Amino acid sequence: MQRHHYTALAFLFLGVIVSAIASRDFLSMRAPDVLYPSRFVTKTGMLSGYCPDIHGTYGDTPVYYFESGQPGATILLLGGTHPNESAGFIAAAVLVENVRLAKGRLIVVPQACASGFTATDPLEASPMSFTLTTRSGERVFRSGARGGNPIHQWPDPLVYRHYPSGQQLSGMESRNLNRSYPGNPNGTFMEKNGHALLQLIKTEKVDIAFDLHEAAPEVMIINAIITHEKGSDIAATAVLNLELEDLKYSLELSPKNFHGLSHREWGDSASVIPFLMETSNPIQGRLRGATNVNLLLNGKDKFYSIASQLTNVRITYEPDGEPLSLRVGRHLQGFRRLIESYNEQHPDNTAIVENIPEYHSVIERGVGNFLK
Amino acid sequence: MKFFRYLTLVIALGTSVTMLFSQSKEKFEQPILITSAGQSADVTLAASLCKKAGLNARAINRATAADVKDAKTLMIVPGFSSKGLGAAGISREQEMDRVKEVIAAAVKQKMKIFVLHIGGKPRRGVQSDDFNKVCAEASQAMIVVKAGNEDNFFSAIAASKKIGITVVEKIAEAIKPLEAACTKN
Repeated sequence: MQRHHYTALAFLFLGVIVSAIASRDFLSMRAPDVLYPSRFVTKTGMLSGYCPDIHGTYGDTPVYYFESGQPGATILLLGGTHPNESAGFIAAAVLVENVRLAKGRLIVVPQACASGFTATDPLEASPMSFTLTTRSGERVFRSGARGGNPIHQWPDPLVYRHYPSGQQLSGMESRNLNRSYPGNPNGTFMEKNGHALLQLIKTEKVDIAFDLHEAAPEVMIINAIITHEKGSDIAATAVLNLELEDLKYSLELSPKNFHGLSHREWGDSASVIPFLMETSNPIQGRLRGATNVNLLLNGKDKFYSIASQLTNVRITYEPDGEPLSLRVGRHLQGFRRLIESYNEQHPDNTAIVENIPEYHSVIERGVGNFLK
Repeated sequence: MKFFRYLTLVIALGTSVTMLFSQSKEKFEQPILITSAGQSADVTLAASLCKKAGLNARAINRATAADVKDAKTLMIVPGFSSKGLGAAGISREQEMDRVKEVIAAAVKQKMKIFVLHIGGKPRRGVQSDDFNKVCAEASQAMIVVKAGNEDNFFSAIAASKKIGITVVEKIAEAIKPLEAACTKN
């Protein structure tokens, strides 16, 4: 062997080591997050219970049921529709680990798009996971991609044609759970996921449903409650009550001609009243600087600070940043006030969810303190 | 310098007195027709406020000139919403034409026009301000949430057109001035 052969072997060996490390990291995203359900969870199931076709796939995901034993309204809450919008997932996890039902039922799906938790979006430098200090110590949670993992639905079409409306969107939206509704039992991986969630809503006769999201600070619709027209009065009362607590929300109506979204299709396809909530998350924004776990957790970015001081830029960004605890706190408080508002307007079919952490407590004590 | 200070003081006092005068003078009769200018869902909030204030009001997001005839006051809730326009299935231009038609019908009928801007910053900016301006200039009174008037956009229109304006910190604080502005049935 000549000298250059040894050099080539050395580089080959180095390549194998780098690949092994990268593969280990890549595959680590397939390990499911562990939640510790409250003792008031009466049943745990899987989404495939509503669509057997997704059983054993990365579309299947845990479903947690709280049943009070008292007749009343059934509530559904989804986190993780977009797995890179961590406040939705963590708010759902906080509910699973804390609340109890005094009346009615609550169903929580913390990772609605389970597939999206197994990958991150290319070229975004998004962290694959983050660590929270909880009551029992440090816990790691995954942060994924906006849509499903392309490995699970490949390839993206050039144009995504929504079923059944025929609406056309960019190809990558074919993996977006929140463009897949009402879904299709014979359709793509994501259409089956959407179908399974709508089947859950219909089978369980859900009265009021929540889909928790986040968006970049420069997005027009932020710190907002978006609802189907049948939820507008409930949302209006909730927005007024939230504002009295200094939590500003804008109220938006779901466009009738924009298909595939939860707040449109759930409301059109079932008797449920749907609500989607958005918080401001700088790690999703185009103006952000260093993209890392610190930004995901603390929501503080110097470029957004500068932008927020410019009068000709319209962004939603608090001077102290948009930390995860604040974003989760907003989701929980919005959830609480919308249920109260629903109860006011439906006195014959109420639900009482107890022990939802208060907004100010979540901020003061940190969201980790509300996880086991 | 002193001269300018006194001049500013006189202008400020004059504006305040004018505003107070206009506020106390204008009374708005019921029933009230609430409509949007820009199709934001703030109309729903406005209807909720009127309900809490005990006013006889009905909300029609896309009211037309024909809807005006049954009302005695036109309340406009300006603010652009892309989702709202999408929900209505109309363009921004079509919405502006409708708003101008409704205002013209109200003016023709000698109805009073009330502007309620409650959406704060999200209902300001390039997309919203055309609607805000058209409505504010046609009104006889305005209630504006402070966050939407940080640059004195509405105050400046109120001052130049001698329109009564009440600036409130929070949306819910609009209930009392609404009650005060509207005559009891």
